[in-house]
Amino acid sequence: MVDAVQVAQWLGKLRQGTLSETDLKQALHRLKQGRESSTGQRLLYLQTYTSDLESPVLGMSIVEDGKVNDGPDDPDDWPYQTVLEAMSDGWRIVKFPELVLGYLNPEFGGMNWEFILEK
Amino acid sequence: MRKSALTGETYDCKPTLKDQQVVDLCRNGYLMLDGVVPGEVNRRVVEFLDKHDGPEPVEILKEDWFVDAVIKNPRGAGAVRSLLGKDFALPTQVANHRVHCPKPATNWHQDAGSMITPRLDYLQVFYYPQAVTREMGPTEILPGSHLHQRSGGYLSRLRSLKDSVPTVSSPGTIFLTVYSIWHRRSASTVTEIRNNLKYNYWRTVEPCRDWDTDPDFNFSWPTNEFPPFSVRTAQMLAWLCGEDWQHTGGQSWPCFVSMAYDSDQPGLPEGLRRDRKG
Repeated sequence: MVDAVQVAQWLGKLRQGTLSETDLKQALHRLKQGRESSTGQRLLYLQTYTSDLESPVLGMSIVEDGKVNDGPDDPDDWPYQTVLEAMSDGWRIVKFPELVLGYLNPEFGGMNWEFILEK
Repeated sequence: MRKSALTGETYDCKPTLKDQQVVDLCRNGYLMLDGVVPGEVNRRVVEFLDKHDGPEPVEILKEDWFVDAVIKNPRGAGAVRSLLGKDFALPTQVANHRVHCPKPATNWHQDAGSMITPRLDYLQVFYYPQAVTREMGPTEILPGSHLHQRSGGYLSRLRSLKDSVPTVSSPGTIFLTVYSIWHRRSASTVTEIRNNLKYNYWRTVEPCRDWDTDPDFNFSWPTNEFPPFSVRTAQMLAWLCGEDWQHTGGQSWPCFVSMAYDSDQPGLPEGLRRDRKG
């Protein structure tokens, strides 16, 4: 099924003027197949302000169709603003943040808090 | 000041930065000076780089017109003078990140040789001779990241960062950075050549607060903003001012508050106080 990540990517492409007929044909193909983008694993990396699931997302990237993608250019267009939102959309956490990193560098900005999720 | 092995010519000029700009440089790790190099010089630089299109066009440092207008640019060098003190050493190397767009983004990284320290003994400076739009893949930087030591391997997994700043600029923009700031080339989508010259200046004297100072400037009571005026930021500012570090924790400087008070904040270094009681 088409999900928030894909819609967010198309929105970003639309705003940049790079959304193409091919993108929409691929979406239609996926919908007809009734399955997600590929049979491969999809990974979602979310870096957050704190280790809290409701903490604002500060950074993201997504791995799908054999490619690593930055996601939409404008953070307001990112598919999820918290990890909890991603979980609600069917993403499952496969790795929680390494808490020890917070002790090594407790100050904000170090991008220590990272969740890795999969579909 | 220990004698270093600096070999470059030294230079002095009028410092141009005000107290707030120095505070912001310590906090952000960079300072943009948009469009400060004259258009004629920018065009000449682009022509020069078309003929010397390698990654390190050091020949340009032998061109007086370039050194006078760019390396000794009154605004650029004035900012360097403010931060590195008088008689700073001029660049002896220059790199050109000349990109044949379109290109994908590079990984986030700190440049090799980064040291995380409150000392500011050198600056990494970038110069765009041409206008750089978002589509041309400007250097993207993360404000406040200059105080966080991270290996390239650690940073390379990062991609889109919410608080990053693309250095979209007018022609002739110079931007100064604390060397260790996290940065990357952002993705470009147009077909064009983008030049980005990069070089270092070096301190030769002990630090002191001799920029364009205001005796009534209130260093106390930083507010809660991004990036934060952290303890490490305050250490860098105190070092630049030649002040002893007197942080005592709790609500002492640089603990943030919701609004600035007129009194001096406990823990503010002696030379930065205005002797006002709360």
